[in-house]
Amino acid sequence: MSASATESVIHDIGYRRYDGPRLRRAAIVRALAWHSFRSAFGFGRSAKAKVVPVLALALLSLPAVINAVSVSQGNQRTIGYDTYIVGLRIVVMLIFVAVQAPELVSRDLRNRVLPLYFSRPLRPVDYPFAKYVAFTAACLVMIEVPVLVLYVGTIVSLHGGSAVWAETRALIPGLLVGLMWAVVMAAISLALASLTGRRAFATGAIAIFFFLTEILAVVVLHAETRGDPAALTHASTAVKVAGLFSPFTLFDGVRRWLGGTGGDQALVPDPGSFGVIYVVVLLALLAASLLGLAARYRKAALS
Amino acid sequence: MPLNPTVAAITLRATLGRRRALLFAIAPVILIVLTLVLRAGRPPGTLWPERVLGDFGFSVLLPLTALVIGTSVLGAEIDDGSIIHLLATPVRRRDVIATKFVVASVLTMLFTAVPELIAGLIAPSGAKLAFALFAGALVGSVIYSAVFVMVSTITARAIAVGLLYVLIWEALLANFVGGARILSVGHYALGVANAIAPDQALNAGLSLTTSLVMAIVVAVGALVLATRRLTSFVITGDSA
Repeated sequence: MSASATESVIHDIGYRRYDGPRLRRAAIVRALAWHSFRSAFGFGRSAKAKVVPVLALALLSLPAVINAVSVSQGNQRTIGYDTYIVGLRIVVMLIFVAVQAPELVSRDLRNRVLPLYFSRPLRPVDYPFAKYVAFTAACLVMIEVPVLVLYVGTIVSLHGGSAVWAETRALIPGLLVGLMWAVVMAAISLALASLTGRRAFATGAIAIFFFLTEILAVVVLHAETRGDPAALTHASTAVKVAGLFSPFTLFDGVRRWLGGTGGDQALVPDPGSFGVIYVVVLLALLAASLLGLAARYRKAALS
Repeated sequence: MPLNPTVAAITLRATLGRRRALLFAIAPVILIVLTLVLRAGRPPGTLWPERVLGDFGFSVLLPLTALVIGTSVLGAEIDDGSIIHLLATPVRRRDVIATKFVVASVLTMLFTAVPELIAGLIAPSGAKLAFALFAGALVGSVIYSAVFVMVSTITARAIAVGLLYVLIWEALLANFVGGARILSVGHYALGVANAIAPDQALNAGLSLTTSLVMAIVVAVGALVLATRRLTSFVITGDSA
């Protein structure tokens, strides 16, 4: 008891005051982003929460590990850096964003803790910004780690600087394609997840959106081409338009427009000059998702 | 199997209320619109009805709709803890499961089997295929609902588990690994459809008898397990 017995004995019970540095907005955003990044992988939660992210990363890295073994026995690398078993990547990333994006945003909505966040010097746009940065980083880890494992697994068996340099030059477009996937998938999934506080419905909405559009695009592509759409050299307009239906075919359309290879891992035929439309639609999708996410929290901050 | 009308009404309201019905309606509308567009733009004789109605309808629409509905009829109440009020009433646990299962089945049929039938009748592949797919989707709705209601009594992360099952097991393994078909709900549904209107393009892998027997075994087994789980239900909080 520091106060003297004659004054304010009831209220001053001797709690220590905080007189350390008071961190401002940037620090809150940083802390929120770091916390969100951790929760995207279930860190700081029970072992059950880590099952899906760990399983997904392991599943996605498996081909790269097999490749490392294969290359060390003298074989060529058969997995492209820019396509990387696209069918597997679609399924695994779809599950990852559908299950983990609601972890980042739906829980706060559900427990109605957003007013607590916004009672701090945090602007309405900061919260979705921090979540978006964190989830993009999480998606990047999911996509790029297997690509880097593929790269490292290949170059350790190579001899000579020129061979390593050739691999490095092939790797860079692969990393950029991964960046495109991460930036867009994180935006769409967070925008959808922020619509509801119920994780089950958020997961369902994200899964249905990605899976439905993907199958829709594939079904129309196959109905129009009656075979392997990626092998076409002169695709009809209907086939090119079908590629616009799904984020995954959009990624592939942009990739091929930028000079990516065809082969059995490609989803869409070479779009040619139509590729500009793929870029425009992809950017519009990204912008709409981010604006929707920002608008969602502008409203939440007021309530 | 006595049903409880009050539980059914509450479940129905919780599942479809607050514009959620619109979420479920999007996919069926896309299916029907796609069928209309393809019908207008494609010559008859190509295999697109089987692709659209079989692939899109049976591997996307049916399992995902059943997943969201089946895990939320009971899972939503477990998730927010209000299941305790239901379990405290003198309604038998078996009746709770039965009611939830029937509501989930009927809703899944409404949002998958009925659109399949409409799209099948629009498509130029004939009414027989449409009714075959309708029957297959009815069977699929019932079994998927039983399975997902069971999953939601076992784990709090039912939708994540269900999604892994639908995408990895049903979509990948059951189509590429022949032996996995015997444990694939999608193939039971296709088996029934294929028995009514035999069609190579459906890629059905099981006979009608196998499909039906396995379907009944899976559905009854899932419901019995779900009842047992709910009988000895332990309230756990939100998984930390």
